[in-house]
Amino acid sequence: MRDWPNTFRAAGYVVSRAFRGMAQAPMVQLLAVATTAVCMLLLGTVMLAWTNAQGVAGAWGIDVPVTVYIHDDAPTDEIEELAGLLEAIPEVTSVERVSPQDAMTRLAEGLGGEASMLEGIEPGVLPSSLEVHLEDGTSSGFISALGEKVSGFGVVEDVAVAGSWTDQAQEMLRTVGNMALGAASLVGFACMAIVWSTIRLAVYARRSEIQILRLVGGSTQFVRGPFIVEGIVQGALGAALALTLLYAGFDTVRPFLEDGLSLLFAAGTLRFFTPTELAIGVAFGALVGLLGSRAAAGRYVVT
Amino acid sequence: MPILEFSSVTMTYGRGRAKTEALRDVSFTVPEGAFSVLVGPSGAGKSTLLKLVLAMERPQEGTIQVADRDIHRLRKHSIPYLRRNVGAVFQDFKLLPDATALENVSLALQVLGLPRREVRARASKALEQVELEPGTKRSVSRMSGGEQQRVAIARALSGEPAILLADEPTGNLDPRLSREILEVLARINRNGTTVMLATHDPIVREAGVITHELGLEAGRLVSDSLADIDPLHAVDLEEDTNPVLNGGVPVGAVA
Ligand SMILES: Nc1ncnc2c1ncn2[C@@H]1O[C@H](COP(=O)(O)OP(=O)(O)OP(=O)(O)O)[C@@H](O)[C@H]1O
Ligand SMILES: [Mg+2]
Repeated sequence: MRDWPNTFRAAGYVVSRAFRGMAQAPMVQLLAVATTAVCMLLLGTVMLAWTNAQGVAGAWGIDVPVTVYIHDDAPTDEIEELAGLLEAIPEVTSVERVSPQDAMTRLAEGLGGEASMLEGIEPGVLPSSLEVHLEDGTSSGFISALGEKVSGFGVVEDVAVAGSWTDQAQEMLRTVGNMALGAASLVGFACMAIVWSTIRLAVYARRSEIQILRLVGGSTQFVRGPFIVEGIVQGALGAALALTLLYAGFDTVRPFLEDGLSLLFAAGTLRFFTPTELAIGVAFGALVGLLGSRAAAGRYVVT
Repeated sequence: MPILEFSSVTMTYGRGRAKTEALRDVSFTVPEGAFSVLVGPSGAGKSTLLKLVLAMERPQEGTIQVADRDIHRLRKHSIPYLRRNVGAVFQDFKLLPDATALENVSLALQVLGLPRREVRARASKALEQVELEPGTKRSVSRMSGGEQQRVAIARALSGEPAILLADEPTGNLDPRLSREILEVLARINRNGTTVMLATHDPIVREAGVITHELGLEAGRLVSDSLADIDPLHAVDLEEDTNPVLNGGVPVGAVA
């Protein structure tokens, strides 16, 4: 039978031993946390780029592959007829009517700080259009065929099939996503190695204490515990430091990106990680620390 | 009821050419409350025997029981529980040199998960039992050999084990300190703890505290004052003026 109060108190001793051990070698901790942070910073940058690339893709309207521009003088019932036909196609999820006024508003939003450029321009110069939303995964062959068909209608002035460049954008996103994944595993391993080597040193330095603890009846968890806690703290602190640095960097770079590339990154499209994502980041650091220290302590802490 | 029982225990270190047989077919029992002493020349296997009781080594053959529990085949995760019941004083003390006496003793109680206040109280009590000042700020490395020995005994005692093992507890001490330590161990024994020590120090036998003597030679048990396994050797013991034998303690050795 396990005696829970005693187990909890034993855990208390484990944690305080861990912090005492860390305080005994502050330089080692500092180095471990700093190197872990550098690693994590790399990962964070890739992740942040990926997150924002997704956001930008959304803002560009990647999910609007077919825009049907309508003649200025087209009668409404004919437009409605076309819209009805399009809506009847199974692959089409919806057809949105965009008036010149809507288009103007969107453009202004897209330009952000530069919206003043549009002053004095009449909405009338922009054509009205139908935005045809298609199901995810609709083949680009189908999309271009659809475009061709639709351009045959009298009311249609032009059809913009976004297929080719959305494919590219999506491809790019996938690549960045894979890179993020690759970076995550690489950085995970690198951080684990860093924690592993610091903990191994700590285990070596405290080997006589380990032996004593075992001989007076310390359980494996009790003996290993301080090292595991140390690893978790190093990993979590490293991740937290990396995220702090990343935020500082992001905050510095954001205005330049948003001003300089205002069409790509409309004001407010660039974002930092959400609190949940930040928590996941720190937890990832802690997990990596746990695995690294477990490997180090498991191997050297024996009977 | 025996608190410790060895049956046909054989223990060999290493493999192949490097093989050393440290114990061969050793059988004996130690009754509860005994003050047992293991004697024999260097290399006889005394330390090995004590290590087996702590499950620091495993026997290749035979069975070992501590308080009716088989320990020769104890699972790894059960070993800590055995060690909490068997206090041990090692030949080289195994103390943390930079920690104080109180901190050293406390370690053995923290392992049990006792509350801080109780850890402190029990560690202090154990130190008082060996006549050391619990409040001292001195680290163990600045203590004399005799003091360190007593810190080690206090740590072994603090968990109130059923058996206290001590390997050469008087090994590094002058005769006066040795007698002091023996007196401490005798008092612990009188309080009900079974004591087993390994020694080749004649002072131990002269001190008049032993109730049971086991003789080892080259890994074999050559005498057992409670079992009379070797009358010839037992006579030797008597001629040695073993206080136990002269003191009327039941020993089957006298033919
Ligand atoms: N870790 C080990 N590896 C190999 N052989 C060992 C080991 N420990 C002890 N031995 C051998 O086992 C035999 C018994 O050793 P042990 O230490 O038990 O003797 P002892 O009676 O305690 O001697 P001493 O009085 O010198 O302490 C010796 O031959 C020794 O060399
Ligand atoms: Mg020895």
